[in-house]
Amino acid sequence: MTFFGLIVRNVMAKRARSVGLALAVALAVMTVVALTVVGDGLQSSAAAILKVGKADFTVAQKGVSDILFSSIDETQVKRIRRTDGVAGTVGVLIETEKIDAANPLFLEIGIPPGDLAAFGVTVVAGRPFTADAAHEMMIGWRAAQNLGIHVGSRFHANGTWNSVVGIYSTGVSFGDLGAMFPLPAVQAYNRVPGSVTLVFVKTAKGVSISSVEKRLNYDNPELTTIRTAAQFGRADRNLVFIRAAALGSTILAIIVGAVVVGNTMLLSLFERTREFGLLRAVGWARTRVVTLVLGEGLILAVVGAALGVGFSYGVTSLLEALPQLRGILHSEYTLTAFWRGLYTGLGMTVLGTLYPALRAAFLAPLQALSHE
Amino acid sequence: MVEVTGPPPVPAIETVSLTKFYDGTTVRALDGVELSVARGEYVAITGPSGCGKSTLLHLIAALDNPTSGTVRVNGRDLRTIASGTRFRREEIGLVFQLHNLLPRLSAQANVEIAMIGAHTSRRQRVTRARELLAAVELQGMESRRPPQLSGGERQRVAIARALANEPQILLADEPTGNLDSASVTTVIALFERLRAEAGMTILLVTHDPVVARAAHRIVHMRDGKVTDPDAGTVVFDTRGAAPGP
Ligand SMILES: Nc1ncnc2c1ncn2[C@@H]1O[C@H](COP(=O)(O)OP(=O)(O)OP(=O)(O)O)[C@@H](O)[C@H]1O
Ligand SMILES: [Mg+2]
Repeated sequence: MTFFGLIVRNVMAKRARSVGLALAVALAVMTVVALTVVGDGLQSSAAAILKVGKADFTVAQKGVSDILFSSIDETQVKRIRRTDGVAGTVGVLIETEKIDAANPLFLEIGIPPGDLAAFGVTVVAGRPFTADAAHEMMIGWRAAQNLGIHVGSRFHANGTWNSVVGIYSTGVSFGDLGAMFPLPAVQAYNRVPGSVTLVFVKTAKGVSISSVEKRLNYDNPELTTIRTAAQFGRADRNLVFIRAAALGSTILAIIVGAVVVGNTMLLSLFERTREFGLLRAVGWARTRVVTLVLGEGLILAVVGAALGVGFSYGVTSLLEALPQLRGILHSEYTLTAFWRGLYTGLGMTVLGTLYPALRAAFLAPLQALSHE
Repeated sequence: MVEVTGPPPVPAIETVSLTKFYDGTTVRALDGVELSVARGEYVAITGPSGCGKSTLLHLIAALDNPTSGTVRVNGRDLRTIASGTRFRREEIGLVFQLHNLLPRLSAQANVEIAMIGAHTSRRQRVTRARELLAAVELQGMESRRPPQLSGGERQRVAIARALANEPQILLADEPTGNLDSASVTTVIALFERLRAEAGMTILLVTHDPVVARAAHRIVHMRDGKVTDPDAGTVVFDTRGAAPGP
């Protein structure tokens, strides 16, 4: 028999305790992984907007709760364009609209037709809308496919019936799931004449992108530049809150989990007092007793974490399928989420098991042996 | 007379004015016990229930601390050893009055468990446990768990476990209490072989006159005291064999 074999045997022998503990770990891990996965999904779908415009970086209003609430007016756009090192800008107005139950957040982009190429848009069928057409639109090829729309179809969006004059591709699936309109039409419907949501900036050749960013941020304290998804929080406070909630619940899960694990372990180890007395009496070192108990905990933590990741997959799939949440919640499974789940499981188990393990190790062998 | 050159040999076990009060009681479980056991000697302790026999063995095994007095094992004062655990693992084999096996583990595993952490490989543990179980005539019962063994069989598993780490000193508290006379003979023969071949020192508590007679010396106790006037003296001749029955 090996030491590890003994640990495994103990885990198997105390079946009810083991199942209970693994489930406690699994629930905590599930919560943490699900929140992380949903947060990651929200971040990457929000950040996908940035990838649509083929730009060096994006400018948004600072500190808004949702990046789509960002508003930049004409004079600000002009100032951005005149900044040293800026080669070109594309200002777009981005809105979402409920098309039907399956598309509660349909993406609508207002953009001048002259900027389409600079924005990275290719017209794959039909033609672009004209600059001031009131009832013309293009639709992304993925949306066209999903909704069964062709060039020449009529489509109700942006507050009116439009004729679909073209189908476009941006190369980013998020962008290809929406529609584009002449900028003034979207501004008029949303009553924000002259405003755009985001400005996509291309820098001049040979200029350092970050120096241009620095200058822009300095000259326009009410605006912020965003280059990576991670910088998103500068503009999108909702995401910051979601991240904070995920972190907070991780900490909470570890604490609550540690208490549950600790309690269960204490009770179960109490029943094994004689066993620990005996092991110490036949010459087991205290550290070995601690290792034995921690080892039992760690096995349960790994099993629980694996279960928890499975549960979280089930839970997020369920949430995504809910009619109220369909199309809004996208879970993105990353290695980070997986690691975080494992850390949570291990963290709560080590915290919860340490005290019971030390208690077991510091029992006086004789008293422990005569324990009933 | 034995020809002695140089200083007299250090006794395996030596107690000086050993006294033990259990907390919260006024009973002197041990009251100034003076005992000396030579290396390779086989000593039996007898005495009425409650006279302090188990207490004495526990103090010698560093499982408990004396209220006053000294225990020396192989010349070392137990108060000076860094780890009672290591001492028990490496120098002492213990058979408890209540055999104290782990009920969930097989007889084989119960013996192996004492060897975990004692610089043995898994293979060595398996082989040695099997040999020891065979030595106490339990071959074929290795995979049985304690509830599936008789009282005497359990006791023999406990004896095998005590011998697992090849201790120099065996402390056994009524190791033959539940054994039939055939098993008693086996265990006595095993002890005698260990003593003769490995030079093991054996200190055991027994009520069984057969087991006691097999020893070199019988020490009587009463009320926490050793009652034989010369019990503290080593009378064992290291060249001698155990007196015949
Ligand atoms: N943990 C303890 N707390 C208090 N008193 C104890 C404890 N253990 C033993 N005693 C007392 O110490 C005395 C000696 O006990 P001990 O177990 O050494 O006797 P013993 O000679 O082994 O008896 P037996 O032959 O019945 O096993 C007894 O009076 C007993 O009641
Ligand atoms: Mg006793």
